[in-house]
Amino acid sequence: MNGITHLEMYQFVALLLLGLGLFGLVRRRSLVGMLISVELMLNGAGLSIVASGQLTAASGAMAQLATLFVMGLAAAEVALILAIIIVVSRRFGHIESNNLRTLRG
Amino acid sequence: MEYLAYVAFGIYVLIILTGGLMAVLCRSMVRALVGLILTLFGVAGCYLLMAAPFIALMQILIYVGAVSILILFAIMLTRAPAGAEEAPYIFPWRSIAALAVAFLPLAVIGGMIRSGQVTPLVPPTEVPLAELGQTLIEPYLLAFELISVILTVAMAGAVILGFERRIGK
Repeated sequence: MNGITHLEMYQFVALLLLGLGLFGLVRRRSLVGMLISVELMLNGAGLSIVASGQLTAASGAMAQLATLFVMGLAAAEVALILAIIIVVSRRFGHIESNNLRTLRG
Repeated sequence: MEYLAYVAFGIYVLIILTGGLMAVLCRSMVRALVGLILTLFGVAGCYLLMAAPFIALMQILIYVGAVSILILFAIMLTRAPAGAEEAPYIFPWRSIAALAVAFLPLAVIGGMIRSGQVTPLVPPTEVPLAELGQTLIEPYLLAFELISVILTVAMAGAVILGFERRIGK
């Protein structure tokens, strides 16, 4: 494997997830699609943290728990965004981010 | 035996790539969600390969079990037309911009990863569950307590936002 280490392989997978998430976040026009892209990026972050804990001399337990915290934060964030999406769809009738131009409700 | 690990890794990367492309490119939101779930399973497989079965199970439990169901609720509750399709694109300016946005960090961070000086530890060792619990209540005690506060605040905020129309009237 011409000098590529296991750590680098996992980090590149995490980087792939980050790139896919960024691509989707800019390309998507509905709020739900953007939410899905953010989840992709958060998964990449978790994978990167666990890889750097398990595959180097750093503490594996700390890395695994940090990823667990990332997952907990993602769950809280999704619950909040779900509520925001529902409010937006009630007020505007759609969730297309291009057409949300009114700030004061 | 070692090549089996490479085969498994390749399969997981393939699953992650397919699911990620589905999640980003499908016009139907439900299909995009299925792609996201596929990606989550692939990442869980990667955790298993790194000898972290606890995190793999948590990934399936929290992400596949809770987060994707919440996203499904978001799709279903927004009264979108059947299948929740996005409008088609007239000219792909947006895709071109998105490609540029995604490629720049990829190139920068990819170069940084390649030039890294970390010596990897090749066979990862499984951390026993008791040690994970010990770490949770000793160095991570504050974070552990804070995340419970954050979850409570997020839930309360979600409920309040959900009731906003009745308050407004």
